[in-house]
Amino acid sequence: MFRQALRQVAKQSTVVRRTYATEAVASDALKLSLALPHQTLYSDSEVEQVNLPSVNGDLGILANHIPIVEQLRPGLLEIISKTGETEQYFVSGGIATVQPGNKLTISAIEAFKPEQIDTHAVKNLIADAQKRAESSDEVVAAEATIELEVLEALSHVAK
Amino acid sequence: MFRLGARQVARSTGARNYATLREIEMRLKSIKNIEKITNTMKVVASTRLNKAQRAMTASRVFHKSEAEFLENTEPEKNAEEKTLLVVVSSDKGLCGSIHSQISKYARKRIAELNGNADVVAIGDKVRQQLTRTHADSVKLAFNGIGKEAPNFYEVALMVDEIKKLGEYANIEVLYNKFTSGVSFEPSTFNAYTAAAIEAAQGLSKYDLESEDISSTASEFGLANSLLSAMAEGYASEISARRNAMDNASKNAGDMINKYTILYNRSRQAVITNELVDIITGASSLD
Repeated sequence: MFRQALRQVAKQSTVVRRTYATEAVASDALKLSLALPHQTLYSDSEVEQVNLPSVNGDLGILANHIPIVEQLRPGLLEIISKTGETEQYFVSGGIATVQPGNKLTISAIEAFKPEQIDTHAVKNLIADAQKRAESSDEVVAAEATIELEVLEALSHVAK
Repeated sequence: MFRLGARQVARSTGARNYATLREIEMRLKSIKNIEKITNTMKVVASTRLNKAQRAMTASRVFHKSEAEFLENTEPEKNAEEKTLLVVVSSDKGLCGSIHSQISKYARKRIAELNGNADVVAIGDKVRQQLTRTHADSVKLAFNGIGKEAPNFYEVALMVDEIKKLGEYANIEVLYNKFTSGVSFEPSTFNAYTAAAIEAAQGLSKYDLESEDISSTASEFGLANSLLSAMAEGYASEISARRNAMDNASKNAGDMINKYTILYNRSRQAVITNELVDIITGASSLD
């Protein structure tokens, strides 16, 4: 008897919790998690705004954004912190999800700061990829076109 | 052959005690060598464990966003269609029961699905164990991975190969979940097809601009799960290997103690025997 009653209480409380999580938005700040497969750059940290390079164009995400799922294209990811400082990362691709509950999770494959990138190396790689893009082998050409896309985005960003 | 010959030679000299003494000594030396090897393997595993755990924590965060998306959308499985089980393990043994546990778990799952399942084996050990019982189900096997913490590139290549097997309505990734330094437990990640994600009830919670996001989410989700599974499996394997090698070193230590005592005793016995021989010989001359 007692255990049953307890379970009922427990069940009720989870139901209550669930409505909280989906409907009432707890905090006003946007919580960002930026994760790479081998490293975590941001983990549930509160930020002001995030600018994403999506396949459908660039997006600026503020707090209380509606839930979306976006595929990222190679480009510059900007994170504006609470204090107004801007951090920039070049991402090669991935998926960004705004979850219900004011959370933004970005899973990128790779992310580097623009100042970490060597412009000379980028130029050399572009020349190399351009050569291969004209190859008669379809697979090689396709790979080279993808490389070119990333590298060209990279050359715009690198200083 | 050689050892047998040596024993016969020893016996022909007549002094039997010398032979056993030599045998004990050789045995002792070999156990000491084994202890050195297991101890080194333990040290190597302990140093790798830190790195493996770091890779695992990173991949857990990476996987979290995907998991949250699935939790919100709640796609449903299609129980009638065929299931693809991706069983994640590795090539190397000497790490306790890690490979047999995951294959046991996979067999149980196949039985639950009434055999309506295909298997992709990642790692030689699990391939061997599963082909023994379910040779027809194993469609694809990878080896040569799992030596290092996994990276996204190799995972993407593997997903490409898995996709070539054709479309499966349900995909499950079976792996050893790292729970603590001394324990792991076989667990499952679910990956869904584009169709299942599109049909999911909870998808309306998200505002989708592009049409093909479900197929992206499905492929990325599989890669993501696989990466996470491999990172967890790798960490579990390393920690299991460390424990196994720790135990082996301890056992070898025990044996060394026993054999040292036995060796000393027999040596003493031989000396006493010889003394008796000498003294009786000397006294018979008087």
